[in-house]
Amino acid sequence: MIAGSPVEAGRWRSSTKRLIIAYGAFFVAWTVVLIGVISWQTARYLDGIVDGLLEQRVRFLSSVDRGQLPALLAATNQLDLRGLMASGLFDAQGRYVAGDVERLPANLPVDGRVHPLPEGVERTSGERAARMHAVALRLDDGSVMLLARDYGVVDRVGAIMRSSLMWGLSLTLVPGLLGGYLLSRGPLRRVRRLETAIEPVMRGHLGARLPVSGRRDEVDMLAAIVNRMLDRIESLLGEVKGVSDSIAHDLRTPLTRLRTQLHRALQLGGGGDDARARLLECCIVEADSLLDRFRALLRISELEDIGRRAGFGPVDLADTLRRVHELYAPLAEEKAIAFALECGALPTLCADGSLLFEAIGNLVDNAIKFAPQGGHVTLRAAASADGRVTVDVLDDGRGIPAAERESVLRRFYRSTASGAADAAGHGLGLPLVAAIARLHGHGFTIGDNTPHGARMTLHCWAADVARAGTEQEQEA
Amino acid sequence: MARILTIEDDAVTAREIAAELQAAGNEVDCVGDGSVGLERALAGGYDAITLDRMLPGMDGLAVVSALRQAGNATPVLMISALSDVDARVRGLRAGGDDYLTKPFAPEEMAARIEVLLRRGAAQRETVLRVGDLELDRIARVARRAGVELDLLPLEFRLLEYLVRHAGQVLTRTMIFEAVWGYRFDPGTNVIDVHIARLRRKVDAAGAAPLIHTVRGCGYSVRAP
Repeated sequence: MIAGSPVEAGRWRSSTKRLIIAYGAFFVAWTVVLIGVISWQTARYLDGIVDGLLEQRVRFLSSVDRGQLPALLAATNQLDLRGLMASGLFDAQGRYVAGDVERLPANLPVDGRVHPLPEGVERTSGERAARMHAVALRLDDGSVMLLARDYGVVDRVGAIMRSSLMWGLSLTLVPGLLGGYLLSRGPLRRVRRLETAIEPVMRGHLGARLPVSGRRDEVDMLAAIVNRMLDRIESLLGEVKGVSDSIAHDLRTPLTRLRTQLHRALQLGGGGDDARARLLECCIVEADSLLDRFRALLRISELEDIGRRAGFGPVDLADTLRRVHELYAPLAEEKAIAFALECGALPTLCADGSLLFEAIGNLVDNAIKFAPQGGHVTLRAAASADGRVTVDVLDDGRGIPAAERESVLRRFYRSTASGAADAAGHGLGLPLVAAIARLHGHGFTIGDNTPHGARMTLHCWAADVARAGTEQEQEA
Repeated sequence: MARILTIEDDAVTAREIAAELQAAGNEVDCVGDGSVGLERALAGGYDAITLDRMLPGMDGLAVVSALRQAGNATPVLMISALSDVDARVRGLRAGGDDYLTKPFAPEEMAARIEVLLRRGAAQRETVLRVGDLELDRIARVARRAGVELDLLPLEFRLLEYLVRHAGQVLTRTMIFEAVWGYRFDPGTNVIDVHIARLRRKVDAAGAAPLIHTVRGCGYSVRAP
C-alpha cells in the first residue's frame, strides 16, 4: 500500500559535523595569521636590537685610537663565543688590515648605517654565515671598518615560535575534531532511532510516538514537538472519522424506523394492489442498502479502533478457502463464470477466522461482480518456504488502473474505469478488506491479472513465523 | 399464542417490539426496568423474553445470569447497541440464547423469537418431514415423494435448517449464521442464489412448492 521511502543512509550529515569542519578551518586560518603577526613583530624587535648593537659598537670602535683598533677587534671576536660577530679593517684601497673578514663585500655601502646582507660575509676561517646585518664605516684616516652580525638567530627564534604554535594548533585541532566527530555520531544515532520509531506512523499507525530520552536536549525538544503534532493530527483525524461515524450512527436508528414503517405498510397493504406493494418493496430495498452502507462504515471504524486480537487463534486457511469457494460458487455459476480454487497444502495462520473469511469472501464477491459474463475468477493460495502465504483473487474484468489503486481503499470511492460505478455495492468492500488486513498485520495489494483484470493479494504469515516475528519485535 | 416479556427502557423500541410480536399473534408485556423485569421473569409464565443490554436498575447481563442461576430456562433474546463480537460473546455466555444488535428490523427480531419459541421441538428427531419431503438426518439423505434428491453436503445442511424450522420465517442473516456459522453481511445476493439452487432441486417442475419466499424478509418452508 503506502510505502514510505527510507532516508538514504549516505546523504545525511549531522549539523555538529558541519560546524566542526567550519570551526576547524577557521581555527587553522586564525592560527596562521597569529603566527605571522607574532613572527613579524618579534623579527622587527630583534632587528632593532641587532642593528642598535652594531651601530653602537661601530660608533665606539671608531672613537678609539687607530693603533689599538686591530687588537680591540681581535679581542671582541674572542669574547664572542658563539661566533655571531664578524669584523674587519681595510685600508683606503680596500686591502685587508685586520679582523676575521678578508674582503669587504662589494654591495655594502660604506655609510656607517646597518644594511641587511643576504649572502653574508666570508671569514678568514672560510666559514660563511648566510644572512647577516652589516655596517661599514670610513674612519678618519680613510681606512674602512666592517662589523657584521649573524642574523640567523632571529630566524631561529621565529622558527621556534612557529613550531611551538604549530604544536599548539595540532594539539588543539586533533582532539577537537576527533571529539567533535564522536559528538556528532550521538545525535545521528538518535535520529536513526527516531526514524525507526516514526516508521509505523508513515505506515498509517497514528498511535506511535517518538522516544523522548529525558535528556531535555534539542533532539528531545524536536521529538516532543513532533509528538505534539502527531497528537493533534490523530485527534483531528479521529474527529473527522468520528463525525462520519456519528452521522452513520445517528441516521441508522431513524432509518431503521422508516424501514419498519414501510414494512408495516407492506403488511397492511390490503389485497390486490400489487403496484403499491412493489413500490413499498423497492423502498425497503433502498432503505436496506442504505443501512448496509452505514453498517459497513461503522464496522470498518470498529475494526480500526479496537485493534482487537481477542478473536485470534489458529485458522486452517485451506479450509477457509474451501468454504469461501463453496459459498460463492453458485453466484459465479449464475453468471456463467468459471470459478476455480487452486490451493495445495497450506500452513495454519494465526487470525480471526471469521474476519479472514469475510475479507477473502469480499474479494471473491468483488471479482465475481467485475468479471464479465462467462469470464474467469480464480482463488489461489500458495505458501513459500519462509512462511509467507499469499492469497490471490484473480478476475478477468477491466481491472483497476494503477492510479486508482490507493483510492479504492478509501471509503465510498467507486472506480469509474473499472466499471464499479455501474455495479451494485457501496464502495466499502475494499476498505473493509484493507482494515481487516491491517488488523492482522497482513499486507494487501492490488495488481494486474494477465492479460487483463484485477489481482487482489493478501500477504499473510504462517502462524509459527508470525509468532516468532512478534517475539522478535518485542525483544527489539 | 405465546406470552412474551419485553424488558426495554426505550419506549419507542419497546413499542416496536410489542407491535411486531403482537402482529405475529403473541401476548406481550413490557417492562422498562431491569430488576422489575427480573421479578416478572422469575414469577414465570413467559415463553420468551427480549432483554435490552443496558437498563436502569439492573444491567441486562446481570438479569440473564440471575435468571439462569435461579434455574429459569425461558429463552432470552438479548438486544444491544453494542455490536462487536466480544459483547455478543459476553451476552451469550451470561445465558442469552440469541443476540441481536440495535438498530434491528422488527421482522428479524420476530423471526428470531419464533425460532426460540419453537426451539427443542424438532431437535431430537432423526427424520424430519414436511409434506412429501423427508430428511434422514443420520443417513444425510433427502427424499421428495420417495425419490432421493441429489444434494451437496452444504445444500443438505441448508435444507435441514429450513425444514427443522418449518413454518417459521427465516431471514437471510439467520440462515447465514446457522448454516455457515458467520455473522456478517455476505454481500450481494449470495444466500438468495443458494436458496434458488436448492429450490430447483427440491421443488422440481410439477411438484407443489415447499420453499417459499417471504417478501422483504426471508424464506420459509411450508407444506403445500
